Amino acid sequence: MISELLEELESEVSKCISCGFCESVCPTLPAAGYDLWKGARGRVIMGRELLSSVQNHGSTNVSDSFYSCLDCHACLYVCPAGVNAGKVSHVSKSIIAGNGIEGNENPLARMMASVTMRYMNPLGIREKCSEWFHGMEADTNSSDLLYTGNMYQLMAYTQGMNHMREKMGKGMSLIMSRIISSLPWLIKLAPMRPDVSVSRKMGQSLSNIALLLRKSGISLNYLGKDEPYPGTFIYDLGYLDLFRQYAAKVAKILKESGARRIITVDPHTYDLLKNIYPKYVEGFDIEVVHYLDLIEGSSFKGGNENITYHEPCHFSLREDAYNKPLETLRSIAQVNLPPRSGRRTKCCGGPDELIFPELTQKISSSRYDELKETKSRKIVTACPICFSNLNKGPEVIEIGDYLVSKLKN
Amino acid sequence: MDLIKGLSQILGNNLITEREQKIPYMTDASYFQGDLPLAVALPDTTDQVAAVMKYCQDNSIPVVARGGGTALTGSSIPLKEMLVISLARFDRILEVHPEDRYAVVEPGVKLDNLNQHLSRYGFFYPPDPASSIAATVGGSISTNAGGLRASMYGTTKNWILGLEVVLPDGNIIHTGGKVLKRTAGYDLTALMVGAEGTLGIITKAIVKIWPVVESRGRILAYYDTIDKVGSSISEMKGMGITPLIAEFLDKITMHSLSETRGLTFPEDASYMLIVDIASTRESIGRELKEAEEVLRKFNPISTEITTDQAAMERIYEARKGAYSSLLSERSSMSERVVIGDIVVPASELPVALKESEEKVRKYNLTVALFGHISDGNIHANIYADIADKDHMNRVESFQHDFATIAIRHGGSVSAEHGVGLEKKDLLRMEFEETNNQYVMEIMKSIRKAFDPKGIMNRGKMFDQ
Repeated sequence: MISELLEELESEVSKCISCGFCESVCPTLPAAGYDLWKGARGRVIMGRELLSSVQNHGSTNVSDSFYSCLDCHACLYVCPAGVNAGKVSHVSKSIIAGNGIEGNENPLARMMASVTMRYMNPLGIREKCSEWFHGMEADTNSSDLLYTGNMYQLMAYTQGMNHMREKMGKGMSLIMSRIISSLPWLIKLAPMRPDVSVSRKMGQSLSNIALLLRKSGISLNYLGKDEPYPGTFIYDLGYLDLFRQYAAKVAKILKESGARRIITVDPHTYDLLKNIYPKYVEGFDIEVVHYLDLIEGSSFKGGNENITYHEPCHFSLREDAYNKPLETLRSIAQVNLPPRSGRRTKCCGGPDELIFPELTQKISSSRYDELKETKSRKIVTACPICFSNLNKGPEVIEIGDYLVSKLKN
Repeated sequence: MDLIKGLSQILGNNLITEREQKIPYMTDASYFQGDLPLAVALPDTTDQVAAVMKYCQDNSIPVVARGGGTALTGSSIPLKEMLVISLARFDRILEVHPEDRYAVVEPGVKLDNLNQHLSRYGFFYPPDPASSIAATVGGSISTNAGGLRASMYGTTKNWILGLEVVLPDGNIIHTGGKVLKRTAGYDLTALMVGAEGTLGIITKAIVKIWPVVESRGRILAYYDTIDKVGSSISEMKGMGITPLIAEFLDKITMHSLSETRGLTFPEDASYMLIVDIASTRESIGRELKEAEEVLRKFNPISTEITTDQAAMERIYEARKGAYSSLLSERSSMSERVVIGDIVVPASELPVALKESEEKVRKYNLTVALFGHISDGNIHANIYADIADKDHMNRVESFQHDFATIAIRHGGSVSAEHGVGLEKKDLLRMEFEETNNQYVMEIMKSIRKAFDPKGIMNRGKMFDQ
């Protein structure tokens, strides 16, 4: 496995001539004060350093370079040589996670992977993640499975986790992470409280998504407290062997539910199930769609309202860009896009929240300012992570909420 | 270690000392690999730069300034225990005055970002090196960068009105000013342009700006021989047509752009010419046709006119990334691309291009040719196998002969990339061949006057 990863890394970094074009769009570079190893070109160079250290049995400390990568892939679309610094980071994290080099694994990453493996949820709170559905009924005979992947629900815990980490200090939180990695059940004892207003808000967004689907005549099954997290963290942090096992378990649960079509609600889960699961789970053949693909039966009030749409990386910066949110919004409003849009869209900074919250804070503030400069009355997001990070003013609204506000009757 | 302590007292957290964090600073866009620097300074104020410079001069610490790290000659990489001073945090556009035709910017502003900002005013800053997405104002001033639009607007030196510069002794000077005319003693602003960080560190620039063109169209023409490419542009310029851009690409370059960018080209084309014409909305159609007529005189395989801005942008972007795309055409992993950068008078181009092709054959090298043909600027991109000594010797001989072609035709060994490490010998050769050795002596005196201890980008451009 490690040798294959090293080959993959070598193939990617050797394509790079170091022109630096990628640095111009990498959100983490300015957020890190232009410390080059936390920028796209720096990561390719550090990929070479990792490669050389592993091949020569040397030691190096390169982990921050790769763990700080947002995996947004903005670099790929400006690279004249087709180098993907995001891929370099992911493969490098996978080498680190596979013990390819000592002393580089981030304890927080290991903790998230361990807890998820045990509870099928990164915080061990699957039951809480189903609370938004109270009062609604799932159609267990339906072959359409609404799959939230717990993503909206987890947003309420982000701030709490960061507060806890700040209180403990960096050193102590790393020690705790190491302990929980070995004894994942300890996560249940952690005094993690959700931000009630965020929790309510995210629950409302999920209810609105369900409403849009029902209005479009879709009858939904939902797994409630049995719904597993899709394993995004495990994959993103490079635990590929664990991810293979985990994804197989999730796929089995989804299949056993009788689902023939999985309706995802966020870009990360959509991308993971549609593009990554088929590579890791043999025979994964359930159709994966996004809920916006299915709401054509709903009628919206059209208008000339000026809105700005922030495109999520996992929709716009993946090989097959998914543009349904933009098309839907354009059918009911005047949509403005910020200068960085389409294949140049800029990440909200969310994926760094776990390990580099200070980078997330800077990136999200800078992106929010860019969106504000378009001077629209509303800023619409289509991802719970983007929403949480960009929600710095009353004009920011989640796409499901926006569409429900425009429903006829 | 004491030196690091002293720098740390000035810079606090704006100093990088960890080995792994310093590694990316050993590289720029050239094939040179620098040494691990002593440390990396990331100052955020001019005063901090001044304090660092004073400390470095007092302690004889050699320094190299870094902008976007897009240099193609190794001019921004550190050698032997140098302190890298990155100007990346100087990334603000401070003032824009369309009515007075100037903007005040910090050196770390990327050229494309500056132009995106200026577009709100209907203005732009013309210097347009292919690396403009990543190249900075400071770095492009320090190399007197040219680029695609130099055909119409000239190089960076034509667009710099004034500078704030920190000298090696820590003094801060202001050269030039906010006016389009100024004759007040020696032109120190001009002296700093192209100085590659050997005289001081630029911390602010007053740049001239210009209204964006009203209308733009493009002619694509394909030829079977290189002399037809050169002759067509030479004829066009002789007739008084000044293209906004005029670029040529050879077959290897076209193939690399097909591979990396998905562009398509006629199969039988050996050379492509991209000619942009700028004009008024009323005249653009007529002027494009007139220019196309000239190109058609030289028996092209085909020509095509477009005013589709999106299609034009795709080709423009691909051309700007051509240097990086070329790596897809290499035959082994140990091959790098060494980019030559000569310039000749436009009328000498047909012969100079033909001679360049002959030299490629003579040394049995794979060389991709492209360049800013309207300026007479040819880039020979040589596939150099750095692991093969014989191959590298042939690369060096070709570089020498390629430079000789430039000198013989009244041109120069360095058009727009600067000298850095790569062209030190060629620069000396140019002065020798043209009986201008004394100019080199004057340059050395100037450098010594600014930098008596020789700490500024030591080992680059020429040896003291």
